Amino acid sequence: MNDMTLTERAVNATDNKITARNVQVYYGESHAIKDVDVDILDKTVTAFIGPSGCGKSTFLRCLNRMNDTIDICRVQGEILLDSEDIYDRRVDPVQLRAKVGMVFQKPNPFPKSIYDNVAYGPKIHGLTRNRTELDEVVEASLRKAALWNEVKDRLTAPGTGLSGGQQQRLCIARAIATSPEVLLMDEPCSALDPIATAQVEELIDELRTNFSVVIVTHSMQQAARVSQKTAFFHLGNLVEYDDTDKIFTNPTDPRTESYITGRIG
Amino acid sequence: MSDATHSAPHKPTSRSLHAVDARTKRRNASESRFKAMGIGAIGIGIAFLVLLLSTIVMNGSSAFQQTFINVPVYLDPAKIDKKGNRDLADLKKATTFTYAPLIQNGLLDVVKKAGIETDLSKAKELKNLISASAASQVRDRVLADPSLIGQTIDFKILASSRVDGYLKGRVKRADIAQDKNISVAQLDLTDALREAGVIHKGFNSAFIFGADASDSRAEQAGIGVSMLGSFYMMLVVLALALPIGVAASIYLEEFAAKNRFTDLIEVNISNLAAVPSIVFGILGLSVFIQFAHLPQSAPLVGGLVLTLMTLPTIIISTRAALKAVPPSIRDAALGVGASKMQSVFHHVLPLAMPGILTGTIIGLAQALGETAPLLLIGMVGYVATNTPDGFVDGFVSPNSAMPAQIYEWAKRADPAFYERAWGGIIILLVFLLSMNIIAIILRRKFERRW
Repeated sequence: MNDMTLTERAVNATDNKITARNVQVYYGESHAIKDVDVDILDKTVTAFIGPSGCGKSTFLRCLNRMNDTIDICRVQGEILLDSEDIYDRRVDPVQLRAKVGMVFQKPNPFPKSIYDNVAYGPKIHGLTRNRTELDEVVEASLRKAALWNEVKDRLTAPGTGLSGGQQQRLCIARAIATSPEVLLMDEPCSALDPIATAQVEELIDELRTNFSVVIVTHSMQQAARVSQKTAFFHLGNLVEYDDTDKIFTNPTDPRTESYITGRIG
Repeated sequence: MSDATHSAPHKPTSRSLHAVDARTKRRNASESRFKAMGIGAIGIGIAFLVLLLSTIVMNGSSAFQQTFINVPVYLDPAKIDKKGNRDLADLKKATTFTYAPLIQNGLLDVVKKAGIETDLSKAKELKNLISASAASQVRDRVLADPSLIGQTIDFKILASSRVDGYLKGRVKRADIAQDKNISVAQLDLTDALREAGVIHKGFNSAFIFGADASDSRAEQAGIGVSMLGSFYMMLVVLALALPIGVAASIYLEEFAAKNRFTDLIEVNISNLAAVPSIVFGILGLSVFIQFAHLPQSAPLVGGLVLTLMTLPTIIISTRAALKAVPPSIRDAALGVGASKMQSVFHHVLPLAMPGILTGTIIGLAQALGETAPLLLIGMVGYVATNTPDGFVDGFVSPNSAMPAQIYEWAKRADPAFYERAWGGIIILLVFLLSMNIIAIILRRKFERRW
C-alpha cells in the first residue's frame, strides 16, 4: 500500500535540483568519493544507502559544503544547484546553507527555547521584518514538522528538554524555517525509537511536497518506505542510482543485490 | 579440550560461595590497603590545612583588635594659637610636637582624677603609653574645626604598640628590661587605667581600611591602601587579560588553521604558563618602566605584569571550555546557515562562558596573591601611606599590593607588624576564597545545559 502511494506521487517530479558530475572527495591522502555523478530531482525523496564508511554521508555533506569545516577535506568535480556551481569561488557557503538545510544524525537542538531554536535561522538571514512575521514563520515551521500541537503551550521551554523524537522534529522545523529548497538528512532516525522514527518518516514524506529531500540511511526498509529514488554507495563509488522500486526489486548491479539481500555490508 | 588436560590434577570443583578463596582474599586485602592509603593521604592533607588555618587565625585575629585610650584633651589656645587670630595658616604652624604634650597632660589629668597611685608624676612620662599618631589625629581635628580651640574635647586615641602588645599578651613584663619604649611603671599604670575603663580594646577598622604606617607607629598600620592597589591592579588585569585571552583562544580554537605555526604558538602558551612569575617581573621592569617610562610602583605597571602572567592561564582554560562545547552545536548553527563567527558568538561562546569565567577568576585569584613580580617593579617595600586621589590617580600613583604589604610587614622588626602580617593574610585569604566560591557558583549555575 505504501508503495502504491509512493509511485503515484513520483510522477510529478522531473526537474533536476542538484546535478553532481565527476565528484571526488579526498580526506588528506585517502580518496573517499570517486567519480560520483548523480541527479537529484526536485520534490522527491532521494535515499543514499550503503555500508558504513562507503562515503554516503561525506557526499551528503558536500551538497551544502559542510565539509568545508574539515581542514583536510578536498572536493573536486562539479556540483550544480539549479545549474549554479556551489563550489564556485563567488559562492558564500552561508547563503548556500540557507538554501540547502541539514538535519543531523543526533538531534542537536540549541540549548535555547523551542521558539529561539526555530527562529534562529530566519533571524540571522533577516527573513522576517517584525515579531509577528517571525511568530508566523515559527508556527508554520513547527506545524510542517508536525510538532506544533505538542509544543505550542511551551514555546519558551528549552528545546533540549523534549524527547528524542521531538528534538529531531524540532531540528527539522529549525531547518525548514529558513525555507530551504533542499533538505539534507544524515541518518535522521538512527538515534530514535521506532515510534519516533515512524513520525519522522511520515514527516519526510509530507516535506516532499515543498522540498527536495536527500536522506542518508542505514535502514533499507526506511529507504524503501520513504524514498522515490535510491542511490547505493559502496567503497566511495556510486554503484547504482535508480527508482527506489527498481533498486529494491530488480537491481542491475550484483553488488547492490548482495547489499540489499544482506550479503555485504 | 586443553582445559581437560591442564586441569586434570585439580579438577575444578564447585566451591561454596560462602568460603572466600585465597586469591580473592589477597585481592580484597590489596584493595583495602589502597583505600586506607588514600584515606591516609587525605587525612594528612586535611590535618595540614587545619594546622595552617588555625595558625593563621590564631596569629592574625589579634590584628583586628586594637587598644584605644579615651582621653579628654584641653586644646590650649596659648599653645596652639599663639597669635590668637584662629587663622588657618598660622594654626598649621603648630606641629604635632605642640599637640603631644596636650594629650599627655590630658591623660595625666585622667590618672589624677581616677585616683590612681603611680610614680609617674610628669605628663612626659606618659608619652610611651600614647601612639605617635595621636598628636596628628588631634591636630587634624583642630585644623578641620578651629572653633574647638579653648575647649576640652574627648578623643579616642590609639595606645602605643607596646601597650597594645601588653594587652594582647605579646609584650610581657619579663621581657621589657631592655626596652626603652616602655617601663614597668608604665605597665602598672596601663593595668590601672584598663581597670578604670580608660584603656580598652576595640574593633580595629583602621587595619582594614587604613594606610600603612612608618616603623615607629605600628599600631596605626592598615592594609586598606594596598588593598586599593590590588584592586586597581585587578581592574587592569581584568580589562586586558579577559578580552585578549578570550579573543586569542577563540581565534586559535575556532578559526586558526591547524599547522606547524599554530602548534608552535600552542606549545609556547603552555610554556608561558609555567614560567616563574619573577621572570614576568623583570620583563615588566625592562619593558614597562625602563623602556616605556611608566611610573615605578604604580598599580598600572603591576597590572600589566600580572596580565602577562595571567594570560596563559586564561587562554588555556578558555580553550578547554571551547573544546568542551559539543561539535554538534557548531554543526547545527552552520547547518542553518550561520557564519563561523555567528556560530561562535551565538552558540559556542555562551555555552563556554561558565568555563571561561571560572578560568578567569582563578587566574585573577592567582594574580591577586602574586608577590614576586611586584618585587621588581617597586611595589614591594613601598610604604603605602597615602590613599590615591581619584580613579585615574589610583592607577599611576605609587602604591603597594596586599601580598607585598604582608611581606613588607613580616620583614619589619617590631613584633606588632608581625601580627599585622598574619592579619593581612587572613584578609587576602578571604578575598581568594570568595573569588573561588564565586567561580564554583558560576560553574554550578551554568553547568552543561545541552
